[in-house]
Amino acid sequence: MNISSFILRRLAQMLPTLLGVMVLIFILFNWVGGDPAYILAGKISDPKMIASIRKQLGVDQSYLVQFWIFVKQVFTFDFGRSWSTNELVSNILKTRLGPTLTLMIPCVIIETVIAVICAVLVAYSRGSLIDRVVMVSSTVIMSISFLVYIIAFQWLFGYQLQWFPVQGWTGSVWRNLLIYAPLPVMLSVFVSMAPSLRLYRSFILDEMCNDYVRTARAKGLSEHTVMLKHVLRNAAIPIVTNVAAALPTTLVGLFLLEFFFSIPGLGREMVVAVSNSDFPIVKAVTVYLAVLTMVVNLLVDVMYRWLDPRVSFK
Amino acid sequence: MKQPLSHNMILRCVSALLILLSMTVTYAAQPKVLRVSIKAAERGFDPQRLTDLYSSDICWQIFDTVLDYDYLARPAKLIANIVKEVPVAEQGGRVYTFRFNPGIYYADDPVFKGKKRELVARDMEYMIRRLRDPALNAPYSWLVENKIVGLDEITEEAKKKGRMDYDTPIKGLELLDKYTLRITLKSPDYNFLYAFAIPQTAPVAREVIEAYADDTMAHPVGTGPFKLVEWVRKSKIVLERNPDYRGSKLDTTYVDMNNEWDREVIQSIAGKTLPLLDRVEIYPIEEEQPRYLAFLNKETDVLDTLYQAYAPQVLQNGVLAPNLKKQGIRVFEEVQPEILYDEFNMEDPVVGGYDEQHVALRRAIVMGHNRNQETQAIFKNLAVVAQSPIPPGVVGYDPAFNAAEQEYNPAKAKALLDMYGYVDRDGDGYREQPDGSPLTISYLNRTGLQYTNQAELWTKSMKGIGIRFENRQVQFTDMLQDEQAGKFMFAVSAWIADYPDAQNFLQLLYGPNTGSANRSRFKLPAYDKLYEQALMLPDGPERNKLYREMCRLALAYAPWRLGIHRAFLHLVHPWVHGFDRHPINHVKYMYIDIDVDAQQAALKN
Repeated sequence: MNISSFILRRLAQMLPTLLGVMVLIFILFNWVGGDPAYILAGKISDPKMIASIRKQLGVDQSYLVQFWIFVKQVFTFDFGRSWSTNELVSNILKTRLGPTLTLMIPCVIIETVIAVICAVLVAYSRGSLIDRVVMVSSTVIMSISFLVYIIAFQWLFGYQLQWFPVQGWTGSVWRNLLIYAPLPVMLSVFVSMAPSLRLYRSFILDEMCNDYVRTARAKGLSEHTVMLKHVLRNAAIPIVTNVAAALPTTLVGLFLLEFFFSIPGLGREMVVAVSNSDFPIVKAVTVYLAVLTMVVNLLVDVMYRWLDPRVSFK
Repeated sequence: MKQPLSHNMILRCVSALLILLSMTVTYAAQPKVLRVSIKAAERGFDPQRLTDLYSSDICWQIFDTVLDYDYLARPAKLIANIVKEVPVAEQGGRVYTFRFNPGIYYADDPVFKGKKRELVARDMEYMIRRLRDPALNAPYSWLVENKIVGLDEITEEAKKKGRMDYDTPIKGLELLDKYTLRITLKSPDYNFLYAFAIPQTAPVAREVIEAYADDTMAHPVGTGPFKLVEWVRKSKIVLERNPDYRGSKLDTTYVDMNNEWDREVIQSIAGKTLPLLDRVEIYPIEEEQPRYLAFLNKETDVLDTLYQAYAPQVLQNGVLAPNLKKQGIRVFEEVQPEILYDEFNMEDPVVGGYDEQHVALRRAIVMGHNRNQETQAIFKNLAVVAQSPIPPGVVGYDPAFNAAEQEYNPAKAKALLDMYGYVDRDGDGYREQPDGSPLTISYLNRTGLQYTNQAELWTKSMKGIGIRFENRQVQFTDMLQDEQAGKFMFAVSAWIADYPDAQNFLQLLYGPNTGSANRSRFKLPAYDKLYEQALMLPDGPERNKLYREMCRLALAYAPWRLGIHRAFLHLVHPWVHGFDRHPINHVKYMYIDIDVDAQQAALKN
């Protein structure tokens, strides 16, 4: 199968997956999401007012009609307005995506680069004191809640050492990258690096035990060449898979960071939307996140071929 | 031909240079910028659509309310703001005439096409109609609902037609001239004026609302001291001094020179033309730790309302912590005009009802729970145990009133339960109902650490008197839904004053408000009669007597377990002046001043 057919087939497969996601979101929101009318009605409300708000929001219609509206929204890219702020959902996505990406891109790049380098080093010196210290440290880091790190890092680096501001964000990307993003990025890298490092170490060790490595060494290739040209190249497929699979998790992890560091990103928007039962925002963010995950997975599959020519599209 | 410079010309040039230089110096002066944080993200700034506290507080800076509260008077005192005087109740509290001051202008906006737009009586009339527009579902429509002659009929008609009529005259809303509006009520209401001292009733210009109909929340155009110049939603709100604001001066009539905060206000802002700030930057920071650390880091100048959990770091044995004192930080402590309480569903077959047996059960539950323990453990002693449904700081509050019926007395609670047949029949350690059926108190509670802790204390204290207690924690919206539908037995609840009169709290037990404000569904004819009598009376001893009688009835029938009135801490850096947090108005930036040199020096350190 050539690459175009493969991509087309995968794109077609996304439709039922997307439909499944939509059904799940719809059921979950209507089941546990709470009725937004009670928040919008204010302190003193009566059943008449609640009914009027429900009618205005369209949540008094049958589930089938509401779901059909949802389907139309997904395919027309028009999720209407936020129920609690009246802001256009498209504007919310447009303005909140930037801050999220400003955090996410450095997080993913730095974490991956450091984790891979460290994994190669500790795998190469497997069983040594450094290997054991790194492994034990990773386990300890992984066993502590992310919230504890946020509180500790904010207190230490933001308040005690005053290296970074405790919170804030501006309209300038560079200012954000240089002043406001470093602390949350550092925090995210510190926490997410530990499990990645352990995993990448095991991928590299698996490769190092293969016959082709022994053969390469027997041929007299330098350790540098063996590790970087052969081992790392072959370990790249599971590493890339892991990075791609971790993207949605990274986004979710950023929700907390955005909330604690007052960063106006999608994550913070989502947390506020959930607490306000603001379904249009929840729907839009969740659906687009699902689409993003599927697209990233597709790109990763395409990348396999580039990383390992033996891989064929079926 | 070149002309030599004359002496006069040189003098002129030098003068011009000097003027230019002085202007440069003036412009180079640092603007006065106040930086504050708010505890939750704002939603928008359309006064009639406001539901949340923080957006309301910001609107209070942008819009003028018709009436206002004196900055220094405690308890809060109603004063005229954009009207000549506080309207006098006419025809026994049925008619109020608002006479607007001429020369009050809206902040400039493209909608006005370069012309100055004066605020007139019609704007108030429009605002009132807007509050009752079915398309808007205004959260504070209850302020005028079923009150003004002819208004409800227009609303009903709008529901049928699908469009609100903003033009047909309404009998109860008479525009006597450009600056005068007379409001006629269906029945006397001496608290009616309070409705016009909150941002939800700030007059708005009709053409602005119509021009920005799609997103009125993002286009606030008011006559207040500040105007919105930058809004990065949920991240940053910037207000700047409104150049079209008329300016005002602090009224010092009600100053209390024994109060250090009042003294500081007098020293720093009395006699000056307000507002003094050039710019206010507001940052929504939901989490308490970054809010607190940002204040300590001098990233914000004022920390308005600190959570109780941080109280031990701020106050040590009731005194400001030495590390904060050393930095010159001041702490403002105030008891809130609010009440936290638990309510019984009076229609519930187990705990509801007005007969002796059920009253005894409720009173035993109330006496079996230790409020002092709750105050210490959960609120870190930053709370006052409530003695009546009326909190301190509102008209009608009686400091001598004592709720002996709600005092912690587990022995008495047990005796009362025994007396009415709530005994343990099967020996499992828990009591059954008099008919032998199980007795379990189901507690409707919202999610959150504070509520979980409260429920744990309840479970423990109820176990102490042999009552099985079950905590049902749900999302806030689900809780509101269940409360309104009466699907609960016992629930956590709270009320914050909309206006400083006891009636705002006592309405929560008024029978006809069942299904709306009266969530405990308490219906006692004697109470309702007293409430209706009180509505007919102006503030005074006679009305206060009725309020006391209503409180006594509420304690006797125990539809509520009175909780506490929280005390809040507010922290202020030494370069901030004029701070005196108002119980209803909260923080009005108009009265705040900044010592820029001190602020800048602190930021450099």
